[in-house]
Order: sequence, then C-alpha cells, then structure tokens
Amino acid sequence: MRVGNARRAMWNTVGIVFFVVTVFPVFWMISTAFKPDDQINSVTPTWFPTHPTLQHMRDALARPYFWTDVKNSLIVVLVTVAIAMVLAFFSAIALSKYRFTGAKVFIVLVIGVQMLPAAGLIIPLYVVLARYHEVNALTGVILVYLTVALPFSLWTLRGFMIGIPKDLEEAAMVDGSTRLGAFVKILLPLVAPGLVATSVFVFITTWNEYIFARILLNDQAKQTITVWLSYFLGTSRNTDWGALMAASTLTAIPVVIFFLLVQRKIAFGLTSGAVRG
Amino acid sequence: MGAILGYPIYNLVRLSLQRYGLFELIQHHGAYVGLHNFGSVLHDPIFWHTLVRTIVFTVVNVGLTMVIGILVALLLVRVSAWVRILITAGLVLVWSMPPVVAVQVWNWMTNSQNGVVNYVLTELHVGNFFQHNWYVTPFSQLSMVTTLIVWGALPFVAITVYAALSQVPHELVEAAEIDGARSWRIFRDVTMPVIMPVLLILTSLSIIWDFGVFTQPYLLIGQGHVVPGNYLMGIYLFEEGYVKTDFGRGAAISILMLLIVAVLSVVYVRRMIRMSEAT
Repeated sequence: MRVGNARRAMWNTVGIVFFVVTVFPVFWMISTAFKPDDQINSVTPTWFPTHPTLQHMRDALARPYFWTDVKNSLIVVLVTVAIAMVLAFFSAIALSKYRFTGAKVFIVLVIGVQMLPAAGLIIPLYVVLARYHEVNALTGVILVYLTVALPFSLWTLRGFMIGIPKDLEEAAMVDGSTRLGAFVKILLPLVAPGLVATSVFVFITTWNEYIFARILLNDQAKQTITVWLSYFLGTSRNTDWGALMAASTLTAIPVVIFFLLVQRKIAFGLTSGAVRG
Repeated sequence: MGAILGYPIYNLVRLSLQRYGLFELIQHHGAYVGLHNFGSVLHDPIFWHTLVRTIVFTVVNVGLTMVIGILVALLLVRVSAWVRILITAGLVLVWSMPPVVAVQVWNWMTNSQNGVVNYVLTELHVGNFFQHNWYVTPFSQLSMVTTLIVWGALPFVAITVYAALSQVPHELVEAAEIDGARSWRIFRDVTMPVIMPVLLILTSLSIIWDFGVFTQPYLLIGQGHVVPGNYLMGIYLFEEGYVKTDFGRGAAISILMLLIVAVLSVVYVRRMIRMSEAT
C-alpha cells in the first residue's frame, strides 16, 4: 500500500498512543508492585519505581495459603492438561482417521459443549459432584475442567490432524510397523506442535479459571490461586495495594510466559479450526 | 468421552424439571415438578429486568469489542513494521492477563482515594475527578465492567481480524483504488466480504462470552455489592441457583440462558449473511 510519509507518521502516532493506553494497566500493576508505600498512597502518582523495593513481594509470599494455593493450582492444571491431551489425542485420531457410527453426533456434541457458557455447566456439575462427595476436593475441580478442556483440545487437535495425509501412515505400516507403531513414529512428531499449543492453552485457561473453583472449593487450604487472589481485597478500607499488585504480578507471570511461547500457534489453531469446521 | 460431554447436559435438563434444594442434595434425588421451575423464573420480575440489562450490556460490549478490534486491525495494516510489532506485543501481553488479575488492577486504578484514572482525567482537564467514585450507580458499575471486558477481549479480536485482513487480495484493493473508489467503499465492498466469516465467528463467540460473563462483574462490582439492581444473567444464575441452593431453579435459568444465547447468535449470523449477500 502506498501511503505518504506524513500519513504514515500520523498512523504511527495513533498506534503508539493506542499501545501506551492498552499496555498501561499491565505496566501500572508491575510498577506498583515495586514502589514503596508512600509513593503508592500519594494522590500524585509516581510513574516509575524510582526507589524499587521487594517488600511487597515478600508480603504477598508471606500471606497465609499463598504457597498452598499455588500448589493446588499447579496440581489441578498439570493433571487436567495431562489427561486432556491423552484423551483428546486418541479421540482426534479416531475422528480424523476412522469412520465410526455416531461420529457426526460426537462432533456436534463437542461443538455444543464448546458453545455452552460456563453458566450452563455450573449447576449440573455441582450437583453431580456433591452426589459423589467431590465438592471441596481438587479431583472434583479437575473433572469439571476436563469437561471444558476436552472438547476444546479435541477440536483444536483435529484441526492440526486434518492436514496430515493418510498415505504417510500407510507407508509406515507397509514398512512393517503396527498401527500403534505407525502413529507413534509418523503422527506424533507431526502433531507435536499442535499438542504443545493445545496443552499450553489448556494450561492457561485452567490456571485463570475462577467461577468453578470459587463454587467448588470452600476451604482456604484447598483453593486455587485465582480464588485466593479474589479474596485479597477483603472488606477493609485500607487495601495493601502494593502487596495486591505484587501478588497479581506473581499470578500472571506463568501465564504470560507460556502465552508468549505459543500465541502465534493458538491464533492459527483457533481460526483454522473455526474456518475449516 | 461422549459420556463426559453428554452427561452434564442430560443432568441439566433433568434438574430443571425437579425440585432440588439442599435437602434433595443430601438425599441425592429430587421430586419431579414438571415445568414449575421455568414458571417460577418467568414470573420473577428480577429475571426480566436482568435479562434486558444483560442484552443491552452484551450488545454494547460485543459492539465496542468488534468495532475497536476491527479499527485496531486496520491500524496495524497502516503503521510501520516496528510500530506493528510494538502494538502486537502489547496486545499479546494484555491477552495473557488472567481475568482475576485484571479485576484487581482495575480496582487499584479506579479506586476513589488515589486511583490513577481519577488523577489522569483531572490532569487532562476532562473534569474534576478528585476522589470520584466509579462504583455508585448500576450504570457506572457496569460501565467500568465494560471497559475491563473490552480491554481484555480486544487482543483476540484485533489479532484475528488482522490475520484475516492478510487474506484480502492486494490486486483487488489496488484495482478499486485505480477505479477511484473511496477507502470506506473499498473496505465495505472488497475487504468486508473476505473477512466476513471471521467476523461472524468472532461476533458469535463474543456474544456467548459476554452474555454469560460472571468473573469480571462479580469481582469488580464486589462480592458484597452485587444486588438485583446491577445483576447480569451470570450473577443472577449464581445467586438464585448456588447461593440460595435452589439447584432446580438454577438449572431452569441455565437452560433459558442457553436458549437466549442461541437465539441471539442465530439472528445475528443470519442477518449478517443476508447483508453480505445483498451487497
């Protein structure tokens, strides 16, 4: 596109202003986390932490149940990702490689659950889990996350697998491999990027999840980190903003790291799955 | 796996037809009451007020997200490469913020004592916002929720639309330019039809998310401050079904919500298809 220099400079300026405004909340969170209290509580803001302190980080880490709830979150996230990936991987193979009766119904079901807002799942899942005494237990939360993560993973992985030609797999079988050997050798390396991208996405959504964890886990020692963070504000008027922003930064860090790693693939997976479907 | 997916839906429908409270939860079975739960919800004036409020909220949020998202995507096409990388990196950073974290940052930025938003607005001479409280009326509360949701949803829409824009053939745009078409007409007649499928999907997804949204309004308005006057459907469901432990009624609300979301997205998708056929 041929745009004059003056015009391009104007668009660049608009772009930079937009960048500053959108990124500001994240900057402000990190900046506050490292500022001393007198700068935080002043009515006139200090933009950059000129006298950085780690006191808020220490305060946040020393709060009751921080580490317990981080550990809970990690357990929930890792188990959910592991189970979702194994089940979704085999289901995706079944869907893309073999024809079986009910495959269409199955796909419709997958899309249907994906369309369901969390609101539609809360009540029935809560009642079912209460029936099996899985309320206030991490296993219950993991089961709930699987009902959300499985359809998503299956759908995304299927998008990655459709592109793989069947001939490749057949060629491996002619070479004397069993069916299982064939896909481990041929399919797994090809689907690996898809598996990584999907599992990171499940990691992020599970780590960030709030409402199910809030409803299902009542015991402070069993909560996940998002629920822990949501109770930080408390009811007192004097919120410790420095510690709150430090805790927020700590909660966001794992997600930001993983997200930056796979963002491109996620955007691709989501749109390609959506357009192809 | 089919069971994992199908069971909650089956259970949802069954529950909605039962009287199922705390007592039934302990007993592990409820009594069938037919459509009583649906009747009770549909006769609740709070349901109707909340529904109207949520539909307005959804239209505003989805509208703002889509319009700003498309504008940002168009901006990305026009800026220099280094600005594009800068904006994209910023969008990805925003995209990765956990909602609960974003809520706490909003709480901090908009607090009436020394929130930075009040300071900046006062300094920019927008008005006197010294110790301005942003959470007084339901309207102002939900407006703050809207800023939070649009901010959080913008990256996904902008980046996806930008990816779709790269599918628009250059020759077509240039041919239209040579023919003397104005940029708005080029956008409407050349660009829009190509990116329409992506826009439809993004809009439907946004409707589904925003109509059932819970975390942001519940935590930003505050766990002790959600009242029928500022309910959205997600919170209404939470209060009626879970807090009041009337799970049968909650299930009925869930089903009504699902039906409404389905109708909202279908009407929209159909209309957009007809529009794209007409032009």
